[in-house]
Amino acid sequence: MPEPIALHLLLPRVPDIELVAIEGLEKLAHHLGLAAQKVGEAKLIVAEAVTNALEHAGGDRPSVRVEFTVTTDEICIFVQDNGNGFDPAGVQDPELTGKLHAPSKRGWGLKIMKSLSDDFRIESGAQGTTIIIRKLLS
Amino acid sequence: MDQVFSLQSEARDGCVIITTMGYINNVGGEAIAAECRTYFAGGVKNVILNLGQSKVVNSIGMSYIIEVLEQVQELGGRLVFTNLDGPVEKMLAIMGLFTFAGKEATVADALAVCAREAVDQGRK
Repeated sequence: MPEPIALHLLLPRVPDIELVAIEGLEKLAHHLGLAAQKVGEAKLIVAEAVTNALEHAGGDRPSVRVEFTVTTDEICIFVQDNGNGFDPAGVQDPELTGKLHAPSKRGWGLKIMKSLSDDFRIESGAQGTTIIIRKLLS
Repeated sequence: MDQVFSLQSEARDGCVIITTMGYINNVGGEAIAAECRTYFAGGVKNVILNLGQSKVVNSIGMSYIIEVLEQVQELGGRLVFTNLDGPVEKMLAIMGLFTFAGKEATVADALAVCAREAVDQGRK
Protein backbone atom coordinates (compact mmCIF):
# COMPACT_ATOMS: atom_id res chain seq x y z
CA MET A 1 0.00 0.00 0.00
CA PRO A 2 1.56 3.31 -1.04
CA GLU A 3 2.16 5.82 1.75
CA PRO A 4 -0.77 8.30 1.79
CA ILE A 5 -0.28 12.04 1.90
CA ALA A 6 -2.96 14.19 3.44
CA LEU A 7 -4.16 17.77 3.46
CA HIS A 8 -6.56 19.22 6.04
CA LEU A 9 -8.27 22.56 5.50
CA LEU A 10 -10.83 24.66 7.32
CA LEU A 11 -12.47 26.93 4.75
CA PRO A 12 -14.51 30.02 5.70
CA ARG A 13 -17.46 31.12 3.59
CA VAL A 14 -15.59 33.40 1.19
CA PRO A 15 -16.35 33.63 -2.55
CA ASP A 16 -14.42 31.05 -4.62
CA ILE A 17 -12.72 29.58 -1.54
CA GLU A 18 -13.33 26.12 -3.05
CA LEU A 19 -10.48 26.97 -5.42
CA VAL A 20 -8.09 26.81 -2.47
CA ALA A 21 -9.14 23.20 -1.87
CA ILE A 22 -8.91 22.40 -5.57
CA GLU A 23 -5.43 23.87 -5.79
CA GLY A 24 -4.36 21.89 -2.72
CA LEU A 25 -5.59 18.67 -4.29
CA GLU A 26 -3.84 19.57 -7.53
CA LYS A 27 -0.54 20.02 -5.67
CA LEU A 28 -0.85 16.60 -4.00
CA ALA A 29 -1.75 14.96 -7.30
CA HIS A 30 1.16 16.61 -9.10
CA HIS A 31 3.53 15.49 -6.35
CA LEU A 32 2.37 11.89 -6.83
CA GLY A 33 2.26 12.10 -10.63
CA LEU A 34 -1.42 11.15 -10.86
CA ALA A 35 -3.36 10.87 -14.15
CA ALA A 36 -4.88 14.18 -15.28
CA GLN A 37 -8.33 12.81 -16.22
CA LYS A 38 -8.99 11.25 -12.79
CA VAL A 39 -7.60 14.26 -10.95
CA GLY A 40 -9.72 16.55 -13.13
CA GLU A 41 -12.82 14.58 -12.17
CA ALA A 42 -11.82 14.74 -8.48
CA LYS A 43 -11.45 18.53 -8.79
CA LEU A 44 -15.02 18.78 -10.12
CA ILE A 45 -16.23 16.65 -7.18
CA VAL A 46 -14.45 19.01 -4.78
CA ALA A 47 -15.97 22.07 -6.47
CA GLU A 48 -19.46 20.58 -5.98
CA ALA A 49 -18.89 19.30 -2.45
CA VAL A 50 -17.34 22.48 -1.06
CA THR A 51 -19.79 24.81 -2.81
CA ASN A 52 -22.75 22.79 -1.46
CA ALA A 53 -21.29 22.54 2.02
CA LEU A 54 -20.53 26.26 2.27
CA GLU A 55 -24.01 27.09 1.08
CA HIS A 56 -25.50 25.04 3.89
CA ALA A 57 -22.93 25.73 6.62
CA GLY A 58 -24.37 27.44 9.67
CA GLY A 59 -23.40 29.27 12.83
CA ASP A 60 -21.88 32.71 13.32
CA ARG A 61 -18.83 31.79 11.29
CA PRO A 62 -19.90 29.34 8.59
CA SER A 63 -17.03 27.09 7.61
CA VAL A 64 -16.32 23.73 6.07
CA ARG A 65 -13.75 21.07 6.93
CA VAL A 66 -12.07 19.51 3.93
CA GLU A 67 -9.62 16.63 4.06
CA PHE A 68 -7.83 14.86 1.24
CA THR A 69 -5.96 11.60 1.63
CA VAL A 70 -4.17 10.70 -1.56
CA THR A 71 -2.10 7.74 -2.72
CA THR A 72 -1.13 6.61 -6.19
CA ASP A 73 -4.18 4.30 -6.04
CA GLU A 74 -6.96 6.57 -4.83
CA ILE A 75 -8.12 9.99 -3.71
CA CYS A 76 -10.30 10.18 -0.60
CA ILE A 77 -12.27 13.38 -0.11
CA PHE A 78 -13.93 14.31 3.17
CA VAL A 79 -16.13 17.42 3.36
CA GLN A 80 -18.06 18.38 6.49
CA ASP A 81 -20.31 21.36 7.20
CA ASN A 82 -22.01 22.45 10.42
CA GLY A 83 -25.40 23.23 8.87
CA ASN A 84 -28.82 21.93 9.81
CA GLY A 85 -28.56 18.78 7.71
CA PHE A 86 -31.10 17.29 5.34
CA ASP A 87 -32.55 13.93 4.35
CA PRO A 88 -30.39 12.64 1.49
CA ALA A 89 -32.99 9.96 0.70
CA GLY A 90 -35.46 12.73 -0.01
CA VAL A 91 -33.34 14.17 -2.80
CA GLN A 92 -34.25 12.83 -6.24
CA ASP A 93 -31.68 12.76 -9.03
CA PRO A 94 -32.51 15.60 -11.42
CA GLU A 95 -33.13 15.10 -15.14
CA LEU A 96 -32.46 17.78 -17.73
CA THR A 97 -35.94 17.47 -19.22
CA GLY A 98 -37.34 18.37 -15.82
CA LYS A 99 -35.04 21.37 -15.48
CA LEU A 100 -35.72 22.92 -18.88
CA HIS A 101 -38.43 25.57 -18.43
CA ALA A 102 -38.43 25.00 -14.66
CA PRO A 103 -37.94 28.04 -12.41
CA SER A 104 -34.82 26.49 -10.79
CA LYS A 105 -32.18 24.82 -12.93
CA ARG A 106 -30.11 23.87 -9.89
CA GLY A 107 -29.89 20.72 -7.75
CA TRP A 108 -27.24 18.73 -9.64
CA GLY A 109 -24.54 18.53 -6.97
CA LEU A 110 -25.29 15.13 -5.43
CA LYS A 111 -25.87 13.46 -8.80
CA ILE A 112 -22.57 14.77 -10.16
CA MET A 113 -20.60 13.79 -7.05
CA LYS A 114 -22.10 10.28 -7.02
CA SER A 115 -21.57 9.79 -10.75
CA LEU A 116 -17.94 10.91 -10.70
CA SER A 117 -16.94 8.90 -7.63
CA ASP A 118 -16.31 5.20 -7.02
CA ASP A 119 -17.71 5.27 -3.50
CA PHE A 120 -20.00 7.98 -2.14
CA ARG A 121 -21.24 8.20 1.41
CA ILE A 122 -23.27 10.93 3.02
CA GLU A 123 -24.26 11.32 6.66
CA SER A 124 -26.52 14.16 7.63
CA GLY A 125 -28.12 15.24 10.87
CA ALA A 126 -28.89 18.24 13.03
CA GLN A 127 -25.16 18.84 13.59
CA GLY A 128 -24.34 19.03 9.90
CA THR A 129 -23.53 16.96 6.86
CA THR A 130 -20.47 14.86 6.08
CA ILE A 131 -19.62 13.59 2.64
CA ILE A 132 -16.95 10.93 2.15
CA ILE A 133 -15.91 10.15 -1.41
CA ARG A 134 -13.43 7.67 -2.80
CA LYS A 135 -12.06 8.05 -6.29
CA LEU A 136 -10.00 5.18 -7.64
CA LEU A 137 -7.13 6.09 -9.91
CA SER A 138 -6.59 2.82 -11.75
CA MET B 1 -3.46 27.82 -11.21
CA ASP B 2 -5.19 30.81 -12.80
CA GLN B 3 -8.92 30.33 -12.31
CA VAL B 4 -10.14 33.92 -12.57
CA PHE B 5 -13.15 33.91 -14.90
CA SER B 6 -13.28 35.97 -18.06
CA LEU B 7 -14.89 35.60 -21.46
CA GLN B 8 -14.53 36.80 -25.00
CA SER B 9 -17.29 36.82 -27.59
CA GLU B 10 -17.71 37.46 -31.27
CA ALA B 11 -20.49 37.00 -33.80
CA ARG B 12 -19.65 35.01 -36.91
CA ASP B 13 -21.90 33.46 -39.55
CA GLY B 14 -25.06 33.83 -37.48
CA CYS B 15 -23.46 32.33 -34.37
CA VAL B 16 -22.08 33.88 -31.22
CA ILE B 17 -18.79 32.28 -30.23
CA ILE B 18 -18.14 32.59 -26.51
CA THR B 19 -14.71 31.60 -25.28
CA THR B 20 -14.35 31.31 -21.52
CA MET B 21 -11.26 31.32 -19.36
CA GLY B 22 -11.11 30.14 -15.75
CA TYR B 23 -13.59 28.80 -13.22
CA ILE B 24 -17.25 28.82 -14.22
CA ASN B 25 -19.32 29.18 -11.05
CA ASN B 26 -22.47 31.25 -10.53
CA VAL B 27 -20.67 34.45 -11.50
CA GLY B 28 -19.18 32.98 -14.67
CA GLY B 29 -22.41 31.23 -15.62
CA GLU B 30 -24.41 34.40 -15.17
CA ALA B 31 -21.91 36.34 -17.29
CA ILE B 32 -22.23 33.78 -20.11
CA ALA B 33 -26.03 33.93 -19.96
CA ALA B 34 -26.00 37.75 -19.99
CA GLU B 35 -23.62 37.81 -22.97
CA CYS B 36 -25.89 35.41 -24.86
CA ARG B 37 -28.97 37.52 -24.11
CA THR B 38 -27.25 40.54 -25.69
CA TYR B 39 -26.56 38.59 -28.89
CA PHE B 40 -30.06 37.06 -28.93
CA ALA B 41 -31.50 40.59 -28.79
CA GLY B 42 -29.41 41.36 -31.88
CA GLY B 43 -30.89 38.44 -33.83
CA VAL B 44 -28.29 35.73 -33.22
CA LYS B 45 -29.79 32.33 -32.38
CA ASN B 46 -26.85 29.88 -32.35
CA VAL B 47 -24.33 29.70 -29.50
CA ILE B 48 -20.90 28.10 -29.71
CA LEU B 49 -19.41 27.75 -26.25
CA ASN B 50 -15.66 27.15 -26.24
CA LEU B 51 -14.85 25.87 -22.72
CA GLY B 52 -11.32 24.73 -23.55
CA GLN B 53 -9.73 27.07 -21.05
CA SER B 54 -12.21 26.31 -18.27
CA LYS B 55 -10.98 23.13 -16.58
CA VAL B 56 -13.10 23.63 -13.46
CA VAL B 57 -16.82 24.33 -13.54
CA ASN B 58 -19.58 23.79 -11.02
CA SER B 59 -23.19 22.81 -11.49
CA ILE B 60 -24.47 26.23 -10.42
CA GLY B 61 -22.51 27.74 -13.30
CA MET B 62 -23.86 25.06 -15.62
CA SER B 63 -27.42 25.80 -14.47
CA TYR B 64 -27.05 29.13 -16.29
CA ILE B 65 -26.02 27.21 -19.40
CA ILE B 66 -29.30 25.28 -19.13
CA GLU B 67 -31.01 28.68 -19.21
CA VAL B 68 -29.06 29.51 -22.40
CA LEU B 69 -30.09 26.16 -23.89
CA GLU B 70 -33.71 26.93 -23.10
CA GLN B 71 -33.48 30.30 -24.87
CA VAL B 72 -31.68 28.79 -27.88
CA GLN B 73 -34.46 26.21 -28.21
CA GLU B 74 -37.12 28.91 -28.06
CA LEU B 75 -35.32 30.77 -30.87
CA GLY B 76 -35.00 27.62 -32.98
CA GLY B 77 -31.22 27.78 -32.77
CA ARG B 78 -28.49 25.51 -31.53
CA LEU B 79 -26.03 25.32 -28.63
CA VAL B 80 -22.69 23.62 -29.36
CA PHE B 81 -19.88 23.03 -26.86
CA THR B 82 -16.32 22.88 -28.15
CA ASN B 83 -12.79 22.14 -26.95
CA LEU B 84 -14.08 20.34 -23.86
CA ASP B 85 -11.63 19.07 -21.27
CA GLY B 86 -12.31 15.39 -20.54
CA PRO B 87 -13.66 15.75 -16.98
CA VAL B 88 -15.88 18.72 -17.93
CA GLU B 89 -17.25 16.75 -20.87
CA LYS B 90 -18.06 13.87 -18.50
CA MET B 91 -19.87 16.23 -16.12
CA LEU B 92 -21.96 17.75 -18.92
CA ALA B 93 -22.83 14.22 -20.07
CA ILE B 94 -23.97 13.34 -16.53
CA MET B 95 -26.25 16.38 -16.65
CA GLY B 96 -27.66 15.15 -19.96
CA LEU B 97 -26.70 18.29 -21.83
CA PHE B 98 -25.60 16.46 -24.99
CA THR B 99 -29.16 15.23 -25.44
CA PHE B 100 -30.12 18.74 -26.51
CA ALA B 101 -26.79 20.45 -27.25
CA GLY B 102 -24.00 19.51 -29.60
CA LYS B 103 -20.31 19.01 -28.95
CA GLU B 104 -17.53 19.43 -31.44
CA ALA B 105 -13.76 19.27 -31.17
CA THR B 106 -13.17 22.84 -32.34
CA VAL B 107 -14.98 26.11 -32.98
CA ALA B 108 -14.38 25.64 -36.73
CA ASP B 109 -16.16 22.26 -36.55
CA ALA B 110 -19.08 23.84 -34.69
CA LEU B 111 -19.36 26.66 -37.25
CA ALA B 112 -19.46 24.05 -40.01
CA VAL B 113 -22.29 22.19 -38.23
CA CYS B 114 -24.30 25.38 -37.81
CA ALA B 115 -23.72 26.33 -41.47
CA ARG B 116 -24.90 22.87 -42.63
CA GLU B 117 -28.03 23.16 -40.49
CA ALA B 118 -28.75 26.63 -41.89
CA VAL B 119 -28.55 25.20 -45.41
CA ASP B 120 -30.81 22.28 -44.45
CA GLN B 121 -33.37 24.64 -42.88
CA GLY B 122 -33.26 26.78 -46.03
CA ARG B 123 -34.19 23.73 -48.12
CA LYS B 124 -37.23 22.90 -45.98
